[in-house]
Amino acid sequence: MSLHSLMFGWEFPPLHSGGLGVACQGMVNGLLKHGTRITLVLPSAMAEGEASLDVRTTNGSSSSTIKYVKSDLQPYEGVDQYDKRVNTAGKIGQAIDLYGPNLGETIENFTAQSVNATRDVHPDIIHCHDWMTYDAGIRASEHHRVPVVMHIHATELDRTDFRPDPWIEGKERWALRKADRVIAVSNYTKNLLTQHYGIAGDTISVVHNGHDVPKNARVITAGRRGKTPLVMFLGRLTTQKNPWQFLEAARLVHDMQPATRFVMAGEGPMLESLMGRACELGLTGSMIFTGKVTRSEADSLYRKASCFVMPSLSEPFGLVALEAISHGTPLVMSKQSGAAEVIEHCFKVDFWDTERFADCILTILREQPLADQLRAEAPRILQKLNWTNQSAQILSIYHSLLSS
Amino acid sequence: MTPLICFYFQVHQPYRLRDLRASELGSDVINYFDDDKNRAIFRKVAEKCYLPSNKLMLELLKTHPDFRISYSLSGVFLDQCEEYGEDVLQSFKDLAATGKVEFLAETYYHSLSSIKSTTEFCEQVKKHVKKIEKLFGQTPTVFRNTELIFKNEIAQMAKQMGFRGIIAEGADHLLRGRSPNLPYSVPAFQLPKETEKQIAKNRPLKKASNDMHVLLKNYRLSDDIAFRFSDKNWAGYPLFANTYCDWLQSNQGHSINLFMDYETFGEHQWEDTGIFNFLRELPAEMARRDIRCATPSQVIAEWSDRETETYDVHAAISWADTERDLSAWLGNHIQQSAMDAIFTLEGAVKKTKNPVLLETWRKLLTSDHFYYMCTKYWADGDVHKYFSPYESPYEAYRRFSHALCDLKSRLEIIRNT
Repeated sequence: MSLHSLMFGWEFPPLHSGGLGVACQGMVNGLLKHGTRITLVLPSAMAEGEASLDVRTTNGSSSSTIKYVKSDLQPYEGVDQYDKRVNTAGKIGQAIDLYGPNLGETIENFTAQSVNATRDVHPDIIHCHDWMTYDAGIRASEHHRVPVVMHIHATELDRTDFRPDPWIEGKERWALRKADRVIAVSNYTKNLLTQHYGIAGDTISVVHNGHDVPKNARVITAGRRGKTPLVMFLGRLTTQKNPWQFLEAARLVHDMQPATRFVMAGEGPMLESLMGRACELGLTGSMIFTGKVTRSEADSLYRKASCFVMPSLSEPFGLVALEAISHGTPLVMSKQSGAAEVIEHCFKVDFWDTERFADCILTILREQPLADQLRAEAPRILQKLNWTNQSAQILSIYHSLLSS
Repeated sequence: MTPLICFYFQVHQPYRLRDLRASELGSDVINYFDDDKNRAIFRKVAEKCYLPSNKLMLELLKTHPDFRISYSLSGVFLDQCEEYGEDVLQSFKDLAATGKVEFLAETYYHSLSSIKSTTEFCEQVKKHVKKIEKLFGQTPTVFRNTELIFKNEIAQMAKQMGFRGIIAEGADHLLRGRSPNLPYSVPAFQLPKETEKQIAKNRPLKKASNDMHVLLKNYRLSDDIAFRFSDKNWAGYPLFANTYCDWLQSNQGHSINLFMDYETFGEHQWEDTGIFNFLRELPAEMARRDIRCATPSQVIAEWSDRETETYDVHAAISWADTERDLSAWLGNHIQQSAMDAIFTLEGAVKKTKNPVLLETWRKLLTSDHFYYMCTKYWADGDVHKYFSPYESPYEAYRRFSHALCDLKSRLEIIRNT
């Protein structure tokens, strides 16, 4: 009998805006490969009643069912709005009042519907992803009398530069203590959970995210001699991703190497103010804002970029870093990230150190041998860090919970 | 009879680079090196190793009439002594004054010039010999190349330079079952005329040598002290002079060559491991058992003209890492390109006849800069990481490439005026 995992998520490709969706998809595919059965519940504004989608592997040995529950719950959205408000000084109190109760109601709706829709699935284990699904996870665990695993892709502290919405933070703290096992995507996050949330270290397992390189992927190892250098950022334009820092570093690079082009890909509440700041910094002709990009647009940018920058304030993992190196793009990233624990062939910089970010970028742009080596060496970690391997670790956590 | 015991200790400190930035390149004065850090590290090692070890050595040399040791002090170490540690320099002078200490010759800047530029190689060795003569009143006759980098050609060059002996790693694959405890000869071959001319022009010693002996490091017995001494999982732990002398006496041959970093005493092996007590006991125990000590030149003198086998080394070896090759300094793309780029500037730098530029360029040749860029089995937190002052090999490259870039632009300006 194959093991059956009931998962609660909040986004899944192609309908996703962040790394959580990408990670969930990788994990589900990996677990299916290992013969696990999965029922995945997702909120959808479009769903009618209890829509569900059956996915089976080709050999028929394992399958997943994706259930869509009608809900207005939009991943990241409430949090992003909150971000925007905390960045507008003096309105913090107002922000909490604005969306706290509404969001609570929406979540309660999602929870009730999700648990109800899955009351007859007989799972062996419950696995939920980030705070919006914790209620559903706990309630389902009580209903089915099976253990619940809570997977932390990001905490409220990461999303808000350590100025959390107390209601969300409280919910996280309350729920995480009820988990039979917590999976953190990095030691960085594990430390944060033990230090700021008071979760016991021995209930937390670290499973780093992986990245599956498509079979037909083109990795650029030869470098981009002679072309206009292009420096790239990709991420939601929110406090956590620290796009501000990218602009500041870009200005320093621009001062030294005016021919350099910069691209800021992604959407988010900070877009407008970032555009304004780019003009102030004299980057109008050098900085391109793409807005939301599709998978293939992102891939094309990675391939064109001379350097990828991930300056996140607090990044539990940072899947874009793995994506960048999988395309052979030299990487400069924040030390305050989980990806920094696993990627060696790159530059690691404290998120606040604008000058060092700029200097590392300039060095990569100037030194072809360095860029060549980073392109060639960095992707090798992906031979180890893929979803087949990472899901095997998750599966072994399932088994250890079920046998204890 | 137990072979002679030949101690040689390596003493070296590089000039580490400061946190250079692209934005400050082309400023008025050259300022590549991290004076504060270099001073701090020098003083730390001085307090933990150089001063206590030298004090103990002096005491041992006075107590035991037959005790002998030798050192190779890199030129950049001696320069740092003058900058940061006259007390350390004085303690080496005191050792020299006993007449029982031999100083070997090496490249002044602890560089890989032996494999990149014959002219620079000769000039650095010559400069080092002069420095040793000036400070310690003796002329080296045995050569120790940077990190024991050795191949037939280097041995020939050292012979042409005037040395009678050269130090090398006793590598198993080259010994093929033979003992490291015998002096070896080098295969006879003619260096290219051009190379011989270059050496003749800058010969460190008066004339070319008639003979050349290779003294091989006995890495097992050396590493028992240098690496394994404090290893609690090692079968030999804890090691006492008594046991160690048993091991020495079980060896055959002419001399057991115990070559190691001087920092073994007090820095790699901390005082609380008992390393100083071991060092204190060893000469006494050796004297009790009639085990004799000799310096490298004495080992060669006592061997005189006896028949020897050849140590035939075509591809360069060294004493670094398990590979015992050049991969610690030239193992990846950034190391190779950095090394090529810095040596490419030799002609331009020397043409300026500017002593500051020459000195700066030479400090950048020091092997440590390239060692810090090594990414071999780096994930395992190996010795490269332990010895590096920077947080990653790429940080080492970033700093080095900025210095290189700045130096290049200065040379360009001079050429255009």
